[in-house]
Amino acid sequence: MKNEELIPADEICVRYQVERQFVSSLYESGIIEIVTVQETEYIHCDHLADFEKMMRLHKELDINLEGLEAINHLLKQIQDLHKDNIRLRNRLGLYE
Amino acid sequence: MEFIDYYKLLELDKSASKADIKKAYRKLARKYHPDLNPNDKEAQAKFQQINEAHEVLSDPEKRKKYDEYGKDWQHADQFEQAKRQQAASGGFGGGFGGGGRQTYSGNFDDDTFSDFFEQMFGGRARAEGAHRGAHFKGQDFNAELQLKLSDVHESKKHTLTVNGKNIRLTIPAGVENGQTIKIKGHGGPGIQGGPKGDLYITFNILNDTNFRREKENLYSTEEIDLTAAALGGEIQVNTFNGKVKLKVKPGTQNNSKVKLKGKGFPKYKKEGQFGDLIITYAIKIPENLTEKQKELFQELKKTGI
Repeated sequence: MKNEELIPADEICVRYQVERQFVSSLYESGIIEIVTVQETEYIHCDHLADFEKMMRLHKELDINLEGLEAINHLLKQIQDLHKDNIRLRNRLGLYE
Repeated sequence: MEFIDYYKLLELDKSASKADIKKAYRKLARKYHPDLNPNDKEAQAKFQQINEAHEVLSDPEKRKKYDEYGKDWQHADQFEQAKRQQAASGGFGGGFGGGGRQTYSGNFDDDTFSDFFEQMFGGRARAEGAHRGAHFKGQDFNAELQLKLSDVHESKKHTLTVNGKNIRLTIPAGVENGQTIKIKGHGGPGIQGGPKGDLYITFNILNDTNFRREKENLYSTEEIDLTAAALGGEIQVNTFNGKVKLKVKPGTQNNSKVKLKGKGFPKYKKEGQFGDLIITYAIKIPENLTEKQKELFQELKKTGI
């Protein structure tokens, strides 16, 4: 993993004006992944979009952690269903 | 440019209190927030509208101006000028300052507010409302690319124009209809030194061939003569790379299938690997038989066929 792809969790908290506990809670809920390198915690930039999404929902819609967990789960389900839908549509093409 | 009824958008009447506005906005924002409605352009448009309605109605100054001029918004400037002249001679003041209000950011394009809003409240208010949140990573862009099936049989270079910028990229062979690929760092610029956003391209692949496709396998139907089916023979079949000869076994049944290994579609990101071509035989039953042919069939019938 390249170092420039890792963003220190503390820096993210400052930039986004969120508490460190919020990032830890998202990690504990399995919503985001945290990488620890030499005792410093980082978020991989590929996971930044997920973090931003959760932060927006938390800040803008006042959704608590339990709500974020449920939303994250349901959004993943929607994503899987969407993929399934595309796969089935492509398969349907065989019979049209 | 049409007048937008912000009260109607938030399902409120004109006497709505600040608390009513906040409550209505929260309710609708939770319903239409773009993060909760991925890939739903209608929800995003609706969310932008209610965001705009909230921006105006939650700000006492803007709400006052909106209520005052309403449908006559096009003449608002003239009214304002007249007011300023009155104010100069001891009348009332005006102006539209920013506030400490919360506005939802979402993940929008630049055109967050309507022309109506811009005309009435100006670009400054728009900038304050739409871009208040400091974003670290740049905005992700989404694009749809329409290609023909024959275009994705080989890896090819394509030039895309995204937000006025030409991006030259190689689309790997075997990409699927509806598949989305991420092009890292081709989204919006990062803020305060943050990484650039990503570009997500969803493929819409139109089938311009006679083959049907499922992932890396191709399917086709070939008609064969009754005699070839019964006695066996050799036919020519179409593959993606041209015609090939194929032996038909004696006693081939209608709708039976043969698999041509490696004659299908390329496997996505597996260079040199191909799926199979599955051919279904459709036996042609002869029509308009000559007298001679009829006699021969009668003879066959007598043998028990």
